[in-house]
Amino acid sequence: MGGARSVAFADLGCKLNQFETESIATQLQEKGYRIIEFDAPADAYVVNTCTVTNRADRKSRNLFNRARRATQAAQAAAELSAEPAAGTPLVVLTGCFVNSHRDELESDGRTYIIANEQKHSIPALVDAHFRGEVVHPAGNVFDFPVAKRIFHTRTTVKVQDGCDNFCSFCIIPSVRGRAVSRSSRDVVAAVAEAVTAGAREIVLTGVNMSRYRDGGVDFTGLVEACLELPGQSSGHPGERDYRLRISSLEPDGLADRFIRLFEHPRMAPHLHLCLQSGSQRMLLAMRRQYTYEEYRRLAADLRSIDPTFNITTDLLVGFPSEEDDDFAASLAAIDEIGFGHVHTFPYSPREGTRAERMRGQVPSRVKTERSAAVRTAADAAKRRYRESLLGSRERLLVERAERRDGTLVLTGLGEHYVPISVRLPARVGEHARASADPPPRYENTFLEARIESLGEGDDPVLHGSPG
Amino acid sequence: MARTTRVTKALPRVHEIRNLTESTYVLRFDRRDLEFEPGQYVSVGVKGDIDMREYSIYSPVDADFLEILVKEIDGGHVSRRLRRVRPGDEVEVDGPFGFFTIDEPDRRRPLLFIATGTGISPFHCFAGSYSDLDFRLLHGVRTAGERYDHDAFPSDRLTTCLSRDPQGVAAAAHVARAEPVADGRAAVGSADSSAVAGRVTDYLREHPVDPGTRCYLCGNCDMIYEAFDILKGHGVAPEHLYAEVYF
Ligand SMILES: Cc1cc2nc3c(=O)[nH]c(=O)nc-3n(C[C@H](O)[C@H](O)[C@H](O)COP(=O)(O)OP(=O)(O)OC[C@H]3O[C@@H](n4cnc5c(N)ncnc54)[C@H](O)[C@@H]3O)c2cc1C
Ligand code: SF4
Repeated sequence: MGGARSVAFADLGCKLNQFETESIATQLQEKGYRIIEFDAPADAYVVNTCTVTNRADRKSRNLFNRARRATQAAQAAAELSAEPAAGTPLVVLTGCFVNSHRDELESDGRTYIIANEQKHSIPALVDAHFRGEVVHPAGNVFDFPVAKRIFHTRTTVKVQDGCDNFCSFCIIPSVRGRAVSRSSRDVVAAVAEAVTAGAREIVLTGVNMSRYRDGGVDFTGLVEACLELPGQSSGHPGERDYRLRISSLEPDGLADRFIRLFEHPRMAPHLHLCLQSGSQRMLLAMRRQYTYEEYRRLAADLRSIDPTFNITTDLLVGFPSEEDDDFAASLAAIDEIGFGHVHTFPYSPREGTRAERMRGQVPSRVKTERSAAVRTAADAAKRRYRESLLGSRERLLVERAERRDGTLVLTGLGEHYVPISVRLPARVGEHARASADPPPRYENTFLEARIESLGEGDDPVLHGSPG
Repeated sequence: MARTTRVTKALPRVHEIRNLTESTYVLRFDRRDLEFEPGQYVSVGVKGDIDMREYSIYSPVDADFLEILVKEIDGGHVSRRLRRVRPGDEVEVDGPFGFFTIDEPDRRRPLLFIATGTGISPFHCFAGSYSDLDFRLLHGVRTAGERYDHDAFPSDRLTTCLSRDPQGVAAAAHVARAEPVADGRAAVGSADSSAVAGRVTDYLREHPVDPGTRCYLCGNCDMIYEAFDILKGHGVAPEHLYAEVYF
């Protein structure tokens, strides 16, 4: 069953959530479900939420309500039943918002509330719902098969879940639980499976991967193993080759030899290294596990391997007792490190965290002003960073090939995690025009591009030509 | 769909509460099978209370019980409630957590421990767990009465910085001179041989530290921030500074 059923997904928050959504979607697709846009009428809606800030809570609630409204009419008949009736449209709410709001959320006839620990069972649960059966979730937080390319060209592999760092502002340890590492054998097997299935870019993801440990294997050892897969070890960029990207990383607990990983031709020269503040006083109050100097040195070491290494980050503004000079240190860090992108968020107290109980909470007005100042500085830094790539060559992984004004335009991300658009020469464009659709062979292939110009806007695209 | 329910299991029971001062006490309870590394902390709360707080483990690694050193905070929720538990009561304990531990190679190097107030707790655990550590401990307290269990440390390794107790400095020096014991340690109940007036940061400014020293700092954020700066000024590399921030 399930052939004609449709499922729509919405997710918020981190790369790990994105991966888990993709993996669930892949499994449902393999069971015969159609994956459709969230705005379209669907038989099931899966909302994978986040709770990292007040804003994330609000968005989670909004998506949940939208999904509920969309299913309301069709579910009217099932409203009085205690358990979801077979076949009625349903909403599955899962993710960190669920874990942090357990007391106010309850499953009813049209909604399943699924905590993070059971998220992996959603495909079985949805399928059972439409079969009129009940499943009893089994398995663990790593039971997410490799995702097919439904939403992105990149393929994500989950290596770790949970966190024991307990930064004083962060709710993640209480909603994702204690740090657990997936066995290195399973991770390497998942990467190998993805490569065999044709993935060109594999992203390793987790909540706090720098603390990864499986017996004697630390995170650096794990990445080394993923770079040297049997039968793929030539390291020469070729059509059948792949590149490896590390998603978000905490800049602590990393081995000295971590930096050397980026000398490998398969390693993407990009890291999202969470800084949170440029002020040492704030880093201590946040109970972060590194000093600003150590961060700066890590950045310098990465740039000694690739001068255009892309370092992106998170900055938290308005943490309790943040003074003007602490904030100025964060602004200065944007220029000093030369971030390629800064994700900034105003501090919002999360229930049960240490920072919630701290004195010196910063007024909202100040937080708003500081966020705006960070955004301005970050936009300028991003433009400067992308300008530094002008004249260089990037290896574009093509995500989309579409005809514009009679020529074929390929778009995707370069190895530095920057958006690139390449217009193919007219000759190739002519060839494309002859067929009804863009030649499919461009998607999910690498293309060497010479970067020639930079577009406008706050996320400017690099334009280039093949070669 | 059923909501996730909490698995109920028997909780550790309190053995004793030992008062060190009017506001500071050592709480001892069942260790059960909790394995930890010296320097780690546990989350502790009174039974049935959803609020738990972090406390460094005070007792040595081979003790068959766990101890924490707690200062009751004015208006504090958990530190006050824990004070009122009685022997035999159950407490919620979770953990261990934390990375404020000493790597094997560093246990053979000169170490500087810097604490304020109850921040002495992990150092108490280090000293009781590793027999041959080459350490110096600077303990910043307001008054001489806050020298928690100083007799657990060899007196020649300990300096107390008394920030608000000039008389205490003289008294401490007097007691230490008057009651030495044969092995060179101060007598139980006596004070350390070296007590100075001022804050730990004042002391650090005046006493350069060998740049190769691994420095461990525990206590309040402002002290640690200031001390980091001073120690870096003495040439200690940032990666050799380790901090456990309590508040
Ligand atoms: C890793 C770690 C280890 C810790 N180890 C110890 C330990 O070994 N012994 C110990 O006594 N405490 C320790 N603490 C502090 C402890 O976790 C609690 O914060 C403290 O007991 C106060 O909790 P409370 O519920 O009584 O106060 P709360 O109700 O949480 O706070 C009341 C008010 O007091 C302020 N406050 C919190 N802590 C302090 C403090 N220490 N001094 C002054 N004001 C404060 C808060 O900002 C708040 O405004 C540790 C903290 C951390 C993060
Ligand atoms: S390292 Fe800190 S910010 Fe990152 S998930 Fe863990 S507790 Fe949260």
